Amino acid sequence: MAKAAEAVIAQHIEERRFARGRFSLQLTGVAMMAPALLFLLAFVFVPMGYAVYLSLYQSTLYTPQPVFAGFANYAHLLAAPDFWQAASNTVWLAVGMMALSLPAALLLAVLLNQRIRGRAIFRAAVFGPYVIPLVSSGLIFSLLFATDGGPVNLALQRLGLSPVNWLGQGRTALLSVLILTAWQFTGYYAIIFLAGLQSVPTSLTEACQVDGGGRWQVFRHVTLRALGPSLFFAVVICLIQTFQTFDQVYVMTGGGPDGATTTFAYYIFEKGFQAFNIGESSAASVILILVLACLSYLQMRLSRRWVVEES
Amino acid sequence: MRANPLLKGVSYALLTIAALLCLAPVYWMIRTSLMPTSSLLSSALWPAHPAWSNFAAAWRAQPFLLYLWNSVFTNGAIVALQVITSSLAAYALVFIPLRGKRWLFFAVLVAMMVPMQATFVPVYTMLSAMHLINTYGALILPYAGSAFGIFLMRQGFLTLPRDIVDAARVDGASEWWILTRIVLPNNKPTIVTLVLLNFVYHYNSLFWPLVATNSTNMRVVPVALSYFLTQDAGQTLQWNYAMAFDIFAIAPVVILFLIGQRYFVQGVAQTAVKG
Repeated sequence: MAKAAEAVIAQHIEERRFARGRFSLQLTGVAMMAPALLFLLAFVFVPMGYAVYLSLYQSTLYTPQPVFAGFANYAHLLAAPDFWQAASNTVWLAVGMMALSLPAALLLAVLLNQRIRGRAIFRAAVFGPYVIPLVSSGLIFSLLFATDGGPVNLALQRLGLSPVNWLGQGRTALLSVLILTAWQFTGYYAIIFLAGLQSVPTSLTEACQVDGGGRWQVFRHVTLRALGPSLFFAVVICLIQTFQTFDQVYVMTGGGPDGATTTFAYYIFEKGFQAFNIGESSAASVILILVLACLSYLQMRLSRRWVVEES
Repeated sequence: MRANPLLKGVSYALLTIAALLCLAPVYWMIRTSLMPTSSLLSSALWPAHPAWSNFAAAWRAQPFLLYLWNSVFTNGAIVALQVITSSLAAYALVFIPLRGKRWLFFAVLVAMMVPMQATFVPVYTMLSAMHLINTYGALILPYAGSAFGIFLMRQGFLTLPRDIVDAARVDGASEWWILTRIVLPNNKPTIVTLVLLNFVYHYNSLFWPLVATNSTNMRVVPVALSYFLTQDAGQTLQWNYAMAFDIFAIAPVVILFLIGQRYFVQGVAQTAVKG
């Protein structure tokens, strides 16, 4: 009886769908997509195409009439030491984050995944820095690393060491930016890993224990393996975020000293907004988009494979 | 696993250290904001005589309420527009059999990856041709459509049983009615997540407002903050006032975080696991 009723209803649904017409439903769908798509078209896709166009023209403050230049802008960039400096700074920051922030985040996630008292408070304290504006924390860390009266140098002096001009020297300036970035984002990655850990089936960990696996073996063979997708996601997001690094550099060092903290995004900003070299700035933008596209593609491909493997 | 007291102890110790490391900079900010100007170079862990007047001085020195209004108004408008455009688009992607839907969703994923840092010159040129630079419009319009918003809303909508939507259609309900009476009320947590995550994200970002505005009365909070260091470069910066102002700037997001912590954590976790 119920089956029959269901069948009737199902057929009714099909008929109604047909009666209303696929066409009018499709029209409604297009109308609903339109606002979002038009905004994305106007402010993402058209600018992307326009950036490619601009990158092929020589256009600076001194050449008001853009001149077609082919790939000259790209050639210029690839031969410019400051471009490679920005690229290597960015990679250095990314590697630093992977060496410093991601392992710390993984450890925190494992710790937070236990049944312990005050878990919510620890989680809030660790995740908290992520919601603070990078400009604000950039200001705070400029104070922490200040040469005179900064607490880091005060502590060094207490230990009988001489104060360091943290933000005034190339290596220590980049290190300071890295420390701030790690402080800001470690909690974020910890939450990502925590979500990954919570998706590990307890049946698997139990099975491993039954087979005589110790804590470390369970972690290595079950937890880490199940964490694969989250780990990969975190690495890619980490790369993407470093290539976009701007706010903290602008506040703490202005890209200096001598370009020692200029990141990829900061380089584009300097070229376009301060040097008004639109052509080269756009060429660098196109390279940035290509790098991000490769990373995103890699992430999509691999995450799909993992998902398929899981099911 | 059986609780091992030693392991528990180590866990607590490590977590406490991590929490202290996360809170220490914030503590130093508060401590410095209360330092009298005469003892800015002191190494005291807490001012002997907290100078509460620093907050009044910082408040008077800059029109913070104007900056806060600029931030809240523009980001409020951004988020409101994003909720509207994203829920409409996500509804079409999930519940309407559209031709070429896969390609549309792919376009959304591509848009999600392109940062403003890579497109700001063209966007600036376009807005400047429309005479919108240095207006609220320049701050709001580029973000009215959100690829991340569509993505998040789609995730939420996918969890709703399709039968409900189909049944409503059978009863002759319009798509608009289904969206506003069934789909959206059943996705309140997703909407709150989108609103909180993106409001805080835009409240915090410096890059685009820095490029798109140039007058003092159009400054949003991060831009106003960024002037502290660039303006005072070379001079000795009044760290106590800067930190007091920084506390004003951070307060709104910290309050939002404390109220909606659950949504922030879920939002981040959701994009990671299902993304």
